[in-house]
Amino acid sequence: MTDRRPDEPEIEALQVDRYLESILVARDRGAAFGPYDPDLDPELRSVAERLSAELVRVHPSFRFEERLARRLADVAAAMRLPAAAGAATGAGTSPVPLNLLPDPAAASAAVRDEELTAGRSRPYLIGGALTSAAISLAGAAFVAWRLSRPVDPMTRAIRRAHHGVDARTGLA
Amino acid sequence: MARPVFRKVRTEEDRRLVHLDLDRALVEAALRDPAAFDPLYRKYLAQVYSYAYYELGSHADAEDVAERTFLLALAALPRFSERARPADGEGASTFRVWLFQIARNVVANQRRTERRHLRAVIEAAALVADPLDLEADSSRHHEGQAAWAAVGRLPADRRRALVLRFVEEMSTAEIAGVLGRSEGAVRVLIHRGLRAVARDLGGRRW
Repeated sequence: MTDRRPDEPEIEALQVDRYLESILVARDRGAAFGPYDPDLDPELRSVAERLSAELVRVHPSFRFEERLARRLADVAAAMRLPAAAGAATGAGTSPVPLNLLPDPAAASAAVRDEELTAGRSRPYLIGGALTSAAISLAGAAFVAWRLSRPVDPMTRAIRRAHHGVDARTGLA
Repeated sequence: MARPVFRKVRTEEDRRLVHLDLDRALVEAALRDPAAFDPLYRKYLAQVYSYAYYELGSHADAEDVAERTFLLALAALPRFSERARPADGEGASTFRVWLFQIARNVVANQRRTERRHLRAVIEAAALVADPLDLEADSSRHHEGQAAWAAVGRLPADRRRALVLRFVEEMSTAEIAGVLGRSEGAVRVLIHRGLRAVARDLGGRRW
C-alpha cells in the first residue's frame, strides 16, 4: 500500500487545471490536444480529452434566435424612448427583478443552496410580466409607475375601506 | 472564446494588474444605445442556451431561460460594472461572468418555481451529428451519450463546473465568478468530477 501525501489531491487538481488550460489554448491554436503531461494521471487525461471532444455546445434554433432578437430590439427601442424624452432612467423605476441579478455578496450564496431550497415556491412577479407575451411593456412600465408613485391620503383611505380596515386604528 | 487580457493601469487607487473585459467596447456601445445590445446577444446566445440546456435538459426550458436572461441583461446593463481588480476576489467579473450569473439565477428560479429536475441529456447529440456520416455517427453518438449521461449523474456543483469548463470553455477564474466559489474550490470540483466520470465510464466499459 502506497502512502498518499495529504496535499496530493490539491496538487493533482492543479495539474488537471493546468492540463485543461493547455487543451483550451491548443484548441485556440487549432491543435487537437494540449502538450503531453507525464505527471498527470493517464486516466484523468483520457477522460478530460474525451469530455473535451464529446461535450458539445447545444445551439438554439434559428427561428428562436431571430424571434428573441426581434423582442430585444423592441425592448431596446422602448428603452430609448424615455431617454430621448429626457425622462429619468434610474433604477428606481426600472422593472427589473433584483433577485435575479448578480449580487456579489448574497446572490452566489443564495443560489449555492438552491438544492436545499428546491421545491419551495417563490413568487416571480415582475420577471413574469417582462417575459409574458400577454403583458405588454407598456403594462410593465405602468405597474412600475404605479408602484413608485406616492399615494395620497384619499387613495389610502379608499384602499383601507375596500379591504375593510379601520381608518383610525388600521385594524381589520 | 472570450479571454481576459491584462495591462498595467495607473490609477489613484492602485498601480496593479487589472483585467480588461474583451467585451468592453460592445458593452459601452450598448450602454450608449440599447439597440447596440444585439452583438452581445448574438455572441453569447448559444453559450447561455447551452448552459441552460445542460442544466434543465429541455429545449423549451432552455429557450425560456435564454429569453429571460437576455431580457434581464438588457434591462439591467446600466448596473453592470466591470469588477476585475485583484481586490475584488478571485472570481473577478467580466460581462460573460455577469451574464452567466444571471442565467444561473434564472435557472435556479425556474427550478424552484416549476420543480423541474435534470433529465438525461441525450437528444442533443443528434442535433450536432453530421447527417451525411451516419455509420460513423452511430458509434460516436453512442459514446457521446455515455459521456453526457455520466456527467448528468454527477452532483449539481460538479456537473455545473464541468459543463462550464468543457462546454463553455471558461477559465477557472470565470467559473469561480459564475459559481461564487474560490478558484481552488473550482479546481477541486473539476478534479473530483473528472475522477467520478472516469470511474463511471470505466465501470461501464467505454
